[in-house]
Amino acid sequence: MKRKTIRSLLYNTLLMIFCLIILFPVVYSILVSLHEPKTAFLSIIPQRWTLENYARLFSHGQFPRYILNSLINGLGGAVVTTLAATLAAYSLARFQFKGKAAIEAFILGMMLLPGLTNLIPIFKLASDLKLLNTYTLMILVFGAYGVPLSIWIMKGFFESVPKVLEEAAAIDGANPVQTFLQVVLPITIPGLIATLLVNFVYNWNNFITPLILINKTSMKMATVGLFDFQHVLEGNQDELLAAACVVIMIPAIILFLRLRDYFLRGMTEGAVKG
Amino acid sequence: MKNRSGGIYPYLLVLPALLLILAVTLYPSIYSIYLSLTRIRGGVSEFVGLDNFNRILSSPSFYESLQVTLIFTFFYVLLTVTVAYGIALMLNSGLKLTGVYMTIIFLPWILSEITTGVVWRWMFYPKEGIIQNLIAPLFNNVALITRPAGALTIVIAATVWRSISFAMLLLLAGLQTIPHEINEAAEIDGADGLSLFRYITWPLMLPTTVVTAVFILIQGINGVGMILSITEGGPGRATEVLGIMMYRQAMQYFNFGFAAAISVILLIINLILAAFYLRALRRESVLAA
Repeated sequence: MKRKTIRSLLYNTLLMIFCLIILFPVVYSILVSLHEPKTAFLSIIPQRWTLENYARLFSHGQFPRYILNSLINGLGGAVVTTLAATLAAYSLARFQFKGKAAIEAFILGMMLLPGLTNLIPIFKLASDLKLLNTYTLMILVFGAYGVPLSIWIMKGFFESVPKVLEEAAAIDGANPVQTFLQVVLPITIPGLIATLLVNFVYNWNNFITPLILINKTSMKMATVGLFDFQHVLEGNQDELLAAACVVIMIPAIILFLRLRDYFLRGMTEGAVKG
Repeated sequence: MKNRSGGIYPYLLVLPALLLILAVTLYPSIYSIYLSLTRIRGGVSEFVGLDNFNRILSSPSFYESLQVTLIFTFFYVLLTVTVAYGIALMLNSGLKLTGVYMTIIFLPWILSEITTGVVWRWMFYPKEGIIQNLIAPLFNNVALITRPAGALTIVIAATVWRSISFAMLLLLAGLQTIPHEINEAAEIDGADGLSLFRYITWPLMLPTTVVTAVFILIQGINGVGMILSITEGGPGRATEVLGIMMYRQAMQYFNFGFAAAISVILLIINLILAAFYLRALRRESVLAA
């Protein structure tokens, strides 16, 4: 028993130190953002705390526009993903049909194709189709990115709905669409909304895709805007840069804290099923 | 209800998803092969056969990038999996604070690479960087980020910091499949922690460890966001992994055929790794069953 106590003391100490290392960069960026201009590196803790950087960030410049673009592309993509994946997942969870195994294998296989190697051809295709710098393109690309993994997660949700419920509805004379809308959907809706929000966070965070597919200032997403800021502000307005960092971190942190288990589930499924 | 077949409905329902995947994933992959065989000259694209590949394979900068990629991914995978393994072992011992630890450890993964990249760059600013100043005496006050090896080390540290959680999650899932009775029996037989790990945990976990390592390797080969925001491939080309070389060729020099050829080489590396990964995964599930 005593050996166990010593061990858990040791483990807790090591884990706490590790967590401090993990947390430090995030906490540090928040601290920098609360410094007065030009004082970021004089002390870790601000000598005088201020929210001025956040006010400046939203009162002039392109940043509010970037945030709006991130919201439009991020949510738009997540909605497309969720709609397409819901339909496909329901089909795969509930029906037996010819070619089903092949379709499942295809979807799983596509999970393994990296997004990175597609960016140059997508850029070229989009430029030929005059789709560069449009919401349509970003929503389509983000929409597709999330589909394979979301199908897998939602398939699990649909499989957990007892078939008896659907059979009862069918006996009561409901057609398949009514059964889906009135019986299956209400049970699975929390899961679907969570999937939508998880996809939103991944889209919101995405940096390399909009970096390549958007070069017009008014259409840039916040992550790419931050990359531009880094070049312009670094070394003289780091406090402002930090504020932009924190604003981009906040939605992801809040949604992660609310939906931790959905995020973790997505990560394991993505790796183990892929 | 068993074997319910809905006629054409099941196909219609999967159609939108399949079309999206075809348009944004499969078709561009195939198109990149075509692009890699062309060159744009005076706004017109012309077929040049394997010319782009010849140019790549005879250019020293490709081999430099390849070398950077290999060094980067080697240390990235080694450190990520090792640290994650240690954390997973500790978290598997049923500590009360496990939930809190998990939440904190996952934070870097759910934040955008660019935001955390900006912070890592700050920490290593030549004069003001908080970590740079801390370690400066160890390195004769040289600014690490301005030296090739130093910059590569920083980039590796940052990407490891970001990915530990993912590897940890996979390893922890593996550890949880080892029945407690095995550990308890070994402890009753007098096995200490080290031999327990060496003779029981390590061999039982080996398939999961391989799966995790290959998975992290795939992440490493395709990861460019952190590097772009911390060093942009510099100083010089010291941290220019293949992904960044591709980005620079396309977006800075507008060599699309050349960039597409790098993209195809990366795609081939990915397909080989994916095959390894699926094999490792199958072996793991056979053993788990």
